[in-house]
Amino acid sequence: MTSGSRKIKPFLLFLFTALGVLSALAGVWAAQRAGDNVEAETVVSPPQLAAEGFARAVDPWAWEFPRDHGPHEAYETEWWYFTGNLSTDDGRRFGFQFTIFRRALSPALIDSSSEWQANQVYMAHFTVSDIESGAFFQAERFGRGAVGLAGAEVLPRLRVWVGDWSVQADDGAVSALTIRAVGEGFAIDLALTPLKSPSFHGENGLSRKGPETANASYYYSLTRLATTGTVTINEVDYSVAGSSWMDHEFGTSALSAGAVGWDWFGLHLDDGRDLMVGQIRRQDGSVEPQFGGLLVEADGATHNLPASAFSITPRDTWPSQKSGATYPAGWELVIDLEGGPLRLALEPLLANQEVLGSVIYWEGAVRVTGDATGMGYAELTGYAQPLRGLF
Amino acid sequence: MPIVLARLAFRALQRRALQSALFVFSIVAGVALVVGVDVAADSARRAFALTVSSLQGNATHEIVGGPNGVPSSFYRTVRVDLGVGAAAPVVQGTVRAGADGAALTLLGIDPFADLQVRQFLGESPVAEAPAAPVQALLRLLAEPNTVVTTENVAALLGIQPGDRFTLATARNRQSFTLVGIIRPRNDVSAQALANLVVADIATAQEFLGTPGYVTRIELVTSDEPTLTRIRAALPPGLALRLVESNRESLAQLSGSFTLNLQALSLLALVVGIFLVYNIMSFSVVQRRVHIGMLRALGATRRQIFATIVLEALVFGSAGTVLGVAAGYALGGGLVDAVTRTISDLYYRVEVQALTLTPLTVAKGVLTGLMASLGAALIPAYSATRITPASALRSADAERASRSRVDLAAAAGLVALVAGLLLTQVQARSLIFGFGALFLVLIGSILFTPAALLIAMRLLQPLTGRLFGPLGAMAPRAITRSLSRTGVAVAALALAVSVIVGVSVMITSFRDTVTVWLDGALTADIFISAPSSGLLETVNLDPSLADSLRAVPGVAEVLTARDVPILAPDYPDLPPVNLVAVSQDLAETSRRYMWQAVPRDEVWQALEGGGVIVTESFAYRRRISPETQTLTLLTDRGPRAFPVIGVYQHYGSDQGIVLMADTVYRSHFADPWVSSFALFLAPDAETAAVLAATRQLVADQGLSVQSTGELRAEVFAVFDRAFAITSVLRSLAALVAFIGILSALMAQQLDQRRMFGTMRALGLTAGQLWRLTLFETGLMGLAAGIFALPIGLLLAKMLIDVINARAFGWTFDFLVSAEALYQSLLIALAAALLAGIYPAWRVARLAPAEAIRND
Repeated sequence: MTSGSRKIKPFLLFLFTALGVLSALAGVWAAQRAGDNVEAETVVSPPQLAAEGFARAVDPWAWEFPRDHGPHEAYETEWWYFTGNLSTDDGRRFGFQFTIFRRALSPALIDSSSEWQANQVYMAHFTVSDIESGAFFQAERFGRGAVGLAGAEVLPRLRVWVGDWSVQADDGAVSALTIRAVGEGFAIDLALTPLKSPSFHGENGLSRKGPETANASYYYSLTRLATTGTVTINEVDYSVAGSSWMDHEFGTSALSAGAVGWDWFGLHLDDGRDLMVGQIRRQDGSVEPQFGGLLVEADGATHNLPASAFSITPRDTWPSQKSGATYPAGWELVIDLEGGPLRLALEPLLANQEVLGSVIYWEGAVRVTGDATGMGYAELTGYAQPLRGLF
Repeated sequence: MPIVLARLAFRALQRRALQSALFVFSIVAGVALVVGVDVAADSARRAFALTVSSLQGNATHEIVGGPNGVPSSFYRTVRVDLGVGAAAPVVQGTVRAGADGAALTLLGIDPFADLQVRQFLGESPVAEAPAAPVQALLRLLAEPNTVVTTENVAALLGIQPGDRFTLATARNRQSFTLVGIIRPRNDVSAQALANLVVADIATAQEFLGTPGYVTRIELVTSDEPTLTRIRAALPPGLALRLVESNRESLAQLSGSFTLNLQALSLLALVVGIFLVYNIMSFSVVQRRVHIGMLRALGATRRQIFATIVLEALVFGSAGTVLGVAAGYALGGGLVDAVTRTISDLYYRVEVQALTLTPLTVAKGVLTGLMASLGAALIPAYSATRITPASALRSADAERASRSRVDLAAAAGLVALVAGLLLTQVQARSLIFGFGALFLVLIGSILFTPAALLIAMRLLQPLTGRLFGPLGAMAPRAITRSLSRTGVAVAALALAVSVIVGVSVMITSFRDTVTVWLDGALTADIFISAPSSGLLETVNLDPSLADSLRAVPGVAEVLTARDVPILAPDYPDLPPVNLVAVSQDLAETSRRYMWQAVPRDEVWQALEGGGVIVTESFAYRRRISPETQTLTLLTDRGPRAFPVIGVYQHYGSDQGIVLMADTVYRSHFADPWVSSFALFLAPDAETAAVLAATRQLVADQGLSVQSTGELRAEVFAVFDRAFAITSVLRSLAALVAFIGILSALMAQQLDQRRMFGTMRALGLTAGQLWRLTLFETGLMGLAAGIFALPIGLLLAKMLIDVINARAFGWTFDFLVSAEALYQSLLIALAAALLAGIYPAWRVARLAPAEAIRND
């Protein structure tokens, strides 16, 4: 059969060729399957935002409320910052952060026929710490200050919003506030009633952040707001009550060139006192001496705390797998008060309360023990990325 | 199968290299056409999908409105009041750039909302900087009149990030700064994004123009409660649509067009199958003696059958593989023509990448193998009928084939009747229409051998009287080897009838369009924005009419507004092309299919709020004198308009709705117009007015055309649309020509002995040469004559069934004398050309060698 197999060879050859051609066609097909969606990336050089022309926090501010609860668009950045510790009747604990940031892209609105033209953009961060389950929920939203998509207004009543996330006053006098926000699998609907009048940081609200006169912002707090409402986790509603803290701050490039980030603590002590301490860390390892703290008595009386009046000592660290940053976790606070030192130990209620948005920082609920007990919030920035330029 | 049979089969094939080549070629040609058209059609479909993706990203739904679009405030409602996060507003328009005014798509987006729809506008996620996408695009918002564009556009305009360049619309011209580049990751994406320019929504809206409105709102959600809430909140005049159905209906736009091409490729395949059948039968006849011997040596019928079928399959597979590859290459040639036509007629598509789906390959493989197998079955069966005793007698085969002639004619009659009945069974299905067409065609072709037999018998006395004994011999030779001549004449008749049918259809269409255009283009000068396809609204300032009126020589200026409007009753069809005219241009010349009011009252009825629609429009939406209303989504919600007539129109197979301008403006808050028509004063010089008008609108990039120029443009598009049809027609003709060549060769070689005997009896080489040519000429003539009625029937069906169903329009059946003699000429020429080589071989035959049986 040798001659037979010789004759069969062309047939086999043909078969192999055929298989080859068909698999080449299959290859063509597979290659174009990969391209069935439009795939591309867009590379844009960073915006050249106007640095000049904004108002700066230099002189003390003549505060007037409710006007100053509203926006100050002449300044580059501004935020309304709410944090709070809440619990259900049976003791299930939640922490929340709800913040709306305003950023001016230019000092003045550009003349345009388009209703979409905006020189103000807004960013909102919303987190809930579900202490019992150990879950930390977070979401971020953006909006342009146009077409009613995002904005801040104080007349006829205070309202700051990004999309359907908002904080608004129930009346013109801001005697009560409502916060509503919905994230993926979590939501809050809270009513907040200020128990103390605004407390001013630094020099009657002129809060210095660095050595130059321009390194400052205007900063006041509503340190204690009685809070009730609903926290929703995975479509289960929890009726909660507790205390919240509001910071409202505005300024233009408040941080100095050497600043890296800050550690901030806002604490509600069970004896009715509220305490803010913070430090701005610099590249050389020192802290900005101009930035200090504030003690608010149960009756609303305030005491400024210079940086030299307190020490913040980390007791532990928490390494983030997500961002790679290592945050301090747990602190010892020693505050020199007239009646002697106040020693407090702070413990995070959850290790992981890291916010991974367009800015990476740690913002979480902490428990206070020691000379006084209470609950509070800690904010640790600049551990994953320097903050200068953003704020 | 014993290996020895396989060896014999191979050796037999080796000896008939030409036949083998023809076999392979027929399959290659048939498969290549089927695959090529499929590739072109699939590529066109994919081009639609990718073009939509490039503009709509992964949006699932869209909110659209009237001519102005969607109020910006409704986006606020969706985002803030309804809390729908995955929603992005878009302002879109066509702009022109560069010296030659290349058309680009300007997309205005909100950087904060857009990345969930168009991920390609983001940077690749970088672990250290997850915020990068938003912050990068933020630049568009932060700096007015900045844009990003693709590498392609940047290269086209010769610009780099940081450069300033100018974009223009019909009303506007402005300088922009390029701040970033969209980098496609593959060629297809590069094509899909080829003409894209992206700006902030404020920048785009300011430039393109309708303050307070966006083009659409895109949604990415499959959450039914969310969609229900949005629907409930929709103000009148807005609609929520599935992007998928949008994509589908866009793809459907060209569906009929591509289906027509597919049918034409199948036609070529039918011719190819004929050819293969022909070759296989001849191969069997040639091997009668071999097969007889094999049978005598003990080969079973089953083995003989398998040998023949295997032979067909081997060559069939070779042809199939080559055919699929050739089809892919052919598709490359066709896709350009197809996308060009689609862009001309329907919707601008950017992608021309070839798409080869496994389905197409499978279709090609199956087509090739089934065709080879199918064509070989009858010859293989006849091979099994060969007995050792009958092998030496050829007449047996002929007697058998004559009985088959009657059978074929009967089958033909059945197919013909079935085909004609099929057109009545289902009056709208295009597939059924093509089915009917094929049945009628095949039925007619099956008649051919019988007709040939009769014709030759009738002709024989006549040719005998005219040309003597040799003259009488030719018809008899044809009838004697009917098994081959019949198939050859049928194949030729089939090819020629296809040519005649398609030609008559195209000329009929062209003539009808000519008459229609004469009536429709009654104005002298037309001004519009350069064409950018359907579904694209061009906004021109109506005050331009006053400036035009002031041009010396202009007697009257009419305006037309051309906008896509949603018709809620037809959610699966693309939006309606509404044309609102300030006065009726074609009032006196328009041809109505039906009208509800007398012709001279039509305009009055239009001004009273009625509409007239085109024939295609009415066909697609089943609008009849009984269902006389059309509901359109106006600014104040759905309104039913009475349809007072259906008229003939060939401008778009999607059809249009004609409305009076005053009625349109009362239902839509739309300040713009789309085009102007100028009537000149009796003493005005067209050229002078043209020049003056062009100067007036020079900086607006508008096209100013005389009636003649516009007509030429219409016909240029028309001819481009039919260019691909012509190419396929020529390919079908080529296949047929090769078919007749191989059949004639088969027949002549088959008669070697007879010719040898004739030479031995004293016939000269020249006489034999003439006899052979006379014979093939007769066959060609017969094929030409048979092709005529078949071709005309085909044309009639193409017009009345296929075009009516595919495009919804009717046109007159116009037969020119040219078409008739063309048919005869083509058939005769093909037959004579194909006869030259066999005749030459016959003439050179050495009698002794020919008589000796091989």
